[in-house]
Amino acid sequence: MPNKKRKYVILQRENKESMKKIFRLLLFIACVAPMTLLAQDDNPKLTVSAKKQVVVGERFQVVFEANAEGKNFTAPSFEGLTVLGGPFTSTSSSFSMVNGSMTHSVKVTYTYALQAYQEGTVHVGSASLTVKGNKITSEPFDIKVSPDDGSYASSSGGGGSSQGQGQSQQNTNDPQVSGKDLFLRVNASKKSAYVGEQVVLTYKLYTKVPVSSLSVEKMPSYAGFWTKDISDNNGGSLRQTSEYINGIEYTAAEIQKIVVVPQRSGTLSLDPMTIECIAQIRTQSSNRPSNDPFDIFFNDPFFNRNITNVQKEISSQSFSLEVKNLPETGKPASFAGAVGDYNFKSDIDKTELKTNEAFTLTLTVSGSGNIELLQLPTPVFPPDFEVYDPKVTTTTNNTSQGLSGTKKAEYLVIPRRAGNFTVPAVEFAYFNPSNASYQTMQSQTYEIHVEKGAGGDGDEGSIYASNQEGIKYLGSDIRHIMTGNPKLKPVGTSFFATSSYFVALLALLLIFIVLLLVSKKHEQQKQDTAANRNKKATKVARGRLRKAEQYLKVKDQDHFYVEMSQALWGYIADKLGIERSKLSMDTVSEAMKGKNVPDDLTQQFIDTLNSCEFARFAPGSAEEKMDDLYKRGIEVITKAEKVL
Amino acid sequence: MKRYTLLILTAFALLFSLNARAQEQPETWFEQANAAYNAGSYDTAVTLYGKVQAEGLESVPLYYNMGNAYYKMRQYPMAIYCYEKALKLDPSNDDVKNNLAIANLAIVDKIEPVPESFIVKGWKGMRAWLSGDHWAWCSIVAFALLLACLYLFLRSRKIGMRKLGFFAGILFFLVFALSVVFAMQLKQSAERQDQAIVMTPTVMVKSSPSDTSVDLFVLHEGSKISILETVDGWSKIRIANGSVGWMKADDMLPF
Repeated sequence: MPNKKRKYVILQRENKESMKKIFRLLLFIACVAPMTLLAQDDNPKLTVSAKKQVVVGERFQVVFEANAEGKNFTAPSFEGLTVLGGPFTSTSSSFSMVNGSMTHSVKVTYTYALQAYQEGTVHVGSASLTVKGNKITSEPFDIKVSPDDGSYASSSGGGGSSQGQGQSQQNTNDPQVSGKDLFLRVNASKKSAYVGEQVVLTYKLYTKVPVSSLSVEKMPSYAGFWTKDISDNNGGSLRQTSEYINGIEYTAAEIQKIVVVPQRSGTLSLDPMTIECIAQIRTQSSNRPSNDPFDIFFNDPFFNRNITNVQKEISSQSFSLEVKNLPETGKPASFAGAVGDYNFKSDIDKTELKTNEAFTLTLTVSGSGNIELLQLPTPVFPPDFEVYDPKVTTTTNNTSQGLSGTKKAEYLVIPRRAGNFTVPAVEFAYFNPSNASYQTMQSQTYEIHVEKGAGGDGDEGSIYASNQEGIKYLGSDIRHIMTGNPKLKPVGTSFFATSSYFVALLALLLIFIVLLLVSKKHEQQKQDTAANRNKKATKVARGRLRKAEQYLKVKDQDHFYVEMSQALWGYIADKLGIERSKLSMDTVSEAMKGKNVPDDLTQQFIDTLNSCEFARFAPGSAEEKMDDLYKRGIEVITKAEKVL
Repeated sequence: MKRYTLLILTAFALLFSLNARAQEQPETWFEQANAAYNAGSYDTAVTLYGKVQAEGLESVPLYYNMGNAYYKMRQYPMAIYCYEKALKLDPSNDDVKNNLAIANLAIVDKIEPVPESFIVKGWKGMRAWLSGDHWAWCSIVAFALLLACLYLFLRSRKIGMRKLGFFAGILFFLVFALSVVFAMQLKQSAERQDQAIVMTPTVMVKSSPSDTSVDLFVLHEGSKISILETVDGWSKIRIANGSVGWMKADDMLPF
């Protein structure tokens, strides 16, 4: 082979159509044309190059190549295939000067991007092109579409198509990337966890070949988990490290780091993650028989970078996580689902203040765990305090061990009344998975001394009414039990209609009747004596007077006066109801006055009594005196009888 | 005279002393039960109160405290049952009424009672002023005063006193008659056991006393019902809103 020839190669590349990115069409036009002058062929030709065998869903290209410029390119109908794009036309022309004679060759390519969508054999008809008035056609061909086997690799742009025979440039042995060279792994920080405990999942891509353009095709669904992505993507580039697995060095790239927190117990399975990437593989074409020294030379890897972009879909292994329920034993009442390792504290800005001044109570939980879902305990303030909704701030740090951070609740509280108050301690309980036990922490108890401030509480004067408020009922409960004498009695006994009840009624009735009878009898007796004496008074007096008359006749002075005196005294005593022992002139005159006896009669009666007494104790009086007294006696008694 | 009165009084004292039996043992149980209640061990308290009850004894404090203990154990139907029993002994007890109202909030059914006419309401309200025994005592006092007024009317010699005796006598007669009627009604209702508390969590009230009959409505535990009649283990019941149906006698606890 003459190798002293000078060679000028001018490569001109011209893209008439803008290349669409999604196809990642890399078009290399190799212009290492066969250098034999004999090979110059002036007959215009239209050749076609395409894969003869594709997989359902695979994207591939069909390239029509003409060695002369022409017009009216007509593509065949790609029946059974989906045309994704095209035709992309590209023209290249080359001039070569060999031993003074210059050769000009033109190459026009029409490229179609196609996709197979169903199994079977697809017949592609011939394309036509008019060159200098002559119509040239390509050969029709068949494409066999085989079923999808899950992973296909599509190659694009075979670089070393230097056969120069103008035939199809199908790469018969498509480069494949083995699973050993490129795989995705997921690492979990633990195999079993409690409900609420955080688990860090790390998805790592291990590769031995260069990889470009990674894209996540399918994310796991993480059903039953609360998730948070903590991968540190600093500007989109992945952090690469070099790791040894089974003694083989791999380049490892962290695709994603995610914290998952199981929300229910049981065996929770995690779907695999699928990513699509393009592996750049250097193909060694040494197996291709060639006796062309140029070929050998240019096929040298240094010159001829035979890089094949292999599109590959890889998935991580699926795995399951054993999620245990939190133990029931020893669960504190204040436990609200916090799992992790925490520290709890409370803080108050002041405890001595005046009414209507505000103070702030801060509750802080810090530590590692799912701090975002954590519930802070609620402090109980005295009812006279005005409490505003707390300001809750959460700061989280993403570390390689998972989530940690601080949750803080600030309560702004305004006491409205003066006094000494207590804000009781609150309890924060959490489950520590590292030693599988519940921990309880308490905040401080605060004694708050509130003094009367200016205005508001307890002001004198007219503000009283506006400051009054009703009693606040804080809760309702049943009243306390009755203590003391239970007053037990046999079941079914009631006092009503029992024998004792009737006895009581009868006794009352009896008492009444007895009382009635007794009082009636007593009255009778009383009335009897008084009436008798009244009635008998005249009769007794008459008898006495008769006796006195007899004594008058026999002139027995002593007996006459005695009888006369007894008749008068006895009569008036009986008539007036005066007892004999109390009988005297005074009592008689008083009693007569009480009975409305006329004064002259009273005087007459008293006079008669007086003269009778006088005559009784002064004997020796005349007979006519006795007679006169007798007449006067009868007269006063008769008069008194009329009145009394 | 005085001798007779003394005799009658001693007879009374004897009668009442017969009623008051020695009750030291149940009273200590009652005290222990109260202590258990205060200590918060309500099941012990219920057991001890039950022991007192098993002796055939009852009283408002006993039923009331028992109801409280059941309430604290969240056995609301039993609590309501105890309160109702206490209220039957003494319809005027404010504590019992209060706790019964609170316990009734804890049950499922809320039954709107049929509104009663103001006469019935007034009658029942007046009857609930005193317990049955107190009405009985009231009738005795009213009777005594009635007789006193009668005596005044019959024996007084002054016209004013006789007038006073006459009109006061009429008043006390009315009081006496009302107390007797109230006491009688309360005694009858206590003896009749015509009310009950539903004890089964959910009961279907049927249209007739058979399992195959139509379901009329659903009652839940703790609801108060009136028993109208009982046939073959089935009771015809009426609830406060006036609905009538049949349910098994096993599902309720009459009082």
